[in-house]
Amino acid sequence: MLSALRRNRPLLVTLVIVLVVLLLMARRFEPKVTASILLSGLTLGSLYFLVASGLSLIFGLMDVLNFAQGGIFMIGAYLGFTTYANPRLILNVLPFALAILGGVQVGRWLGGLLPARFKKRWLDTSFLILLFLLSLVLLLIGFRGFDLGALAAATATATGGAVATELAQEPAAVYVPRVALLTAAGLLLGIGLSRVGKVQMRQRTQGRTAIVGLVLIAAAFALVPFRTPAEAYLLSVSSNIRFILALLVGLLAGGGLGALIEISFIRPLYGRPLYQILLTLGLGYVLTELVKSVWGTAGYYMDTPAFFNARGDRCPSPNLWSWFSDHCQSISVLGRPFPSYRMFIIALGLVMFIAIALLLKRTRLGIIIRAGVQDSEMVQALGINVRRVFTLVFAIGCALAAVGGVAAAPFLGVNLGLGAEIQLQAFIAVVIGGMGSFVGAAVGALLVGMARAFGDQLVLSGIRLPWMDEAVRMSPSIARASTVLIMALVLLIRPTGLFGKKE
Amino acid sequence: MTNLLEVNAIHTFINQFHILEGVSLSVPEGSITALPGRNGAGKTTTLRSIMGLNPPREGQIIFEGEEIQGKAAYDIAARGIGYVPEYRAIFRALTVEENLKIAERSKGDLARRGDLIFELFPDLKRFYHLPGGQLSGGQQQMLAIARALVPENRLLLVDEPSEGLAPIIIDAIVAALRQLAAHATVLLVEQNFRMASQLADRYYIVDDGQTVTSGQMADLVNDRPLITKYLGAGYAGAGLVHPAKE
Repeated sequence: MLSALRRNRPLLVTLVIVLVVLLLMARRFEPKVTASILLSGLTLGSLYFLVASGLSLIFGLMDVLNFAQGGIFMIGAYLGFTTYANPRLILNVLPFALAILGGVQVGRWLGGLLPARFKKRWLDTSFLILLFLLSLVLLLIGFRGFDLGALAAATATATGGAVATELAQEPAAVYVPRVALLTAAGLLLGIGLSRVGKVQMRQRTQGRTAIVGLVLIAAAFALVPFRTPAEAYLLSVSSNIRFILALLVGLLAGGGLGALIEISFIRPLYGRPLYQILLTLGLGYVLTELVKSVWGTAGYYMDTPAFFNARGDRCPSPNLWSWFSDHCQSISVLGRPFPSYRMFIIALGLVMFIAIALLLKRTRLGIIIRAGVQDSEMVQALGINVRRVFTLVFAIGCALAAVGGVAAAPFLGVNLGLGAEIQLQAFIAVVIGGMGSFVGAAVGALLVGMARAFGDQLVLSGIRLPWMDEAVRMSPSIARASTVLIMALVLLIRPTGLFGKKE
Repeated sequence: MTNLLEVNAIHTFINQFHILEGVSLSVPEGSITALPGRNGAGKTTTLRSIMGLNPPREGQIIFEGEEIQGKAAYDIAARGIGYVPEYRAIFRALTVEENLKIAERSKGDLARRGDLIFELFPDLKRFYHLPGGQLSGGQQQMLAIARALVPENRLLLVDEPSEGLAPIIIDAIVAALRQLAAHATVLLVEQNFRMASQLADRYYIVDDGQTVTSGQMADLVNDRPLITKYLGAGYAGAGLVHPAKE
C-alpha cells in the first residue's frame, strides 16, 4: 500500500492540487458555471490528449519530437471537413493514392523477381537515380493541370446542398490517363525501392505483395466512373454516416501520412535529434502551405452531424439520458446548456485513452513499445524488427492527431491556425506530464485543457480578491499564458515532468 | 567438433575510433568459450559486432555456415543468437513475465522453456509479476540470462555476467551457466578470471582490438606469465587449478 502510494506520488500531488483549485472554483463561481468550466476543460483536454499522446509515444520510443503533429491535426480537420461537406475532393484523389500505392507494391514484387545478375549490372546507384527521376517525371505529368483548388472550392460552396456535379470534375477521358501515369510512376518507384531496401522478401510475402498491389490498382481504375454517383450518394445519406466516414478518412489518411513521413524523412535521421527537430518543424510549415494551396486561406465552418444537432421545443435535453433519444444540440447541465457535440469529443478522448492503454498493457506490440522506450537496441537484439515498430507507432500517433482534427473541426472551426495552436498546447501538456509517459500525456493534456477553460472564465468574469472593491479585468491572453505558467511551475519542482523518469 | 560461429579478422569502428583491428575467433558447437581480459580490450565490441549492433566494416562473421555480417541485428538474433548484455539490460518497467514474453520468437516459446528457466532461476517464478526494476542485481542478471533462453537459441553471447554481484550470487550464476551449456553454445566475456576459468573450455585473449592468443582453458590457468601479461598480475594465482575438471 505504502509503496503504491510512493510510486503514484506525482499523481496524488496533482490530484490534491486539482481538488484544491476545484474547491476554490466552487466557492467563487455558481455550480452551473463550475460544471461548464469543467466540461469545457475536458473537451479541450480531450483534443490536446489526442495530439499529446502521439507526441509522447513517438518521443518515448524513438526520441523524435514530432513538431509536425499539429500539422497532421490540421490536415485531419480539413480532410474530415471535405469528406463531410462535399466528398468530391476525396473521391477524385483517392484513385490517385490507390494507383501509386498499388504501383509501388507491384513494383517491389517485380524488383524481387529480377535476377540478381541483372540487378547488379543495371540497378546500381546512377540507374537508381534515373529510375526515381523518371518516376518523378511521370508523377508530374500525371498531375499536370489537375486542379485541386477547383475541387476544394466546390467544397466551399457546398453547404450540404447539391451542387452541379460536373463542375470542376474531370471527364474520364482525361482522368484515366492520369491514373495510368501514376500507376507507372509507382511501379518504377517500387522497383527502385526493392533494390534500395536490400532486404530479401520472403516467398510468402512476395506473392501477397503482388496481389495487394494488383487489387489496389484495379480499385483505382474501377473507382473512376463512380466518382459522380458516389458523390451524389454520399450527399444524400445522413450526415451521421458522412461524419463517421470523415473520422475514418482522418484515421487512414493520418496513419498513411505518418508512415510515409517516418519512412521517407525521419528514418534516415535517427540518432541526429537536432536534424529531426528541424525537419519536423519544417514539415509542419510544409503541411500548412500544402493546405493553403489546396483549400486556400479562408477558414471553413463545419456543421455538427444530425446526431448532435436537433433543435426544437424539447431542447436542450434535460439530461444525458434523454439526449440519447432526442439528440438535442445542447444538454442542460445544472440549468446551463452545454453543446452535446462536445460530449462526443470527451467520449472520443476517453475511448482513445482506454484503447491505447489496453494496447500498451495487453498486447505484444504494447510490450515491445514499453520495452523500446527504455532500450530499443536490446529489443532489436531479441530478434524484433524495431524499425517496423517505429513506423507503426509513428503512424498510430499521426492517426490519433488526424482523428482529433476531424473531431475538432465542428468545434474549433477549420482554419490554418489550428495546427500551430494545438501543437503548442500538446507540447506543453507532454512536458508537464513527462516526456515519453503515456499517462503523463493524458494528465498533462487534462491540466492544460482545464487551465484554458478556467482562464477563459477568469477573463470573462475578472479576478476579484477579498480586499478589492471590483474585479480586475484581464486580457484574454492570460488563458494562454496560464498553461505556460503551469509548465514552468511543474518544471521547477519536477524537472522531468509529473510522470517523467529520471535520466 | 564443427564451429558454430566463426569470426574472421573483423574491423569495427565506433564513430571514428578503430576499436577492433582484426579480431578472429571460432566457437565450437556445444562449448563454452571465454574472452577474458582487461577493460577496453574490445571484448564487448566483439560481441556487439557479432550481434550486428556495431556492424564490422571489414571481415567475416559466419554463423551456421552463413555470413551474417552486415545483416540487421533483429535478423541475426532471429537466426538463433541470444544476447545477454553488460549491465543487465533488462526492461525495468516490464514485469518479469513481460521481460520473458517479449523474447518469444514464436507463440508458446515461454511455455516450452518455462520449466527449464524456473528450475535454473526459482527466484524468477517468485517475482513473476514484479517489475524488473525492483529485482536485486543478481535477480536482474538471472532475468537477463533467462530472457536469452526463451527462444531456442543455438548460441548465447554473455557479457560480464558477474559484474557488480556478490560472490555468493556469482556462484549461483556459474552453476546456472554450466547447466545452460547443455542447451546452447556459449561465448562468454568475463573479467572475473576465476569465474571464466571455472566455466570455459576454451579461451581467446583479445587485447588492443586484436586476438593475441587462444587455447584450452586448462592450459591457461597454469600459464602464469601469460596471465600476468594480458590479464594483469592480480589474476595470476586466481585459479591455479581448473575447478571444472575436478
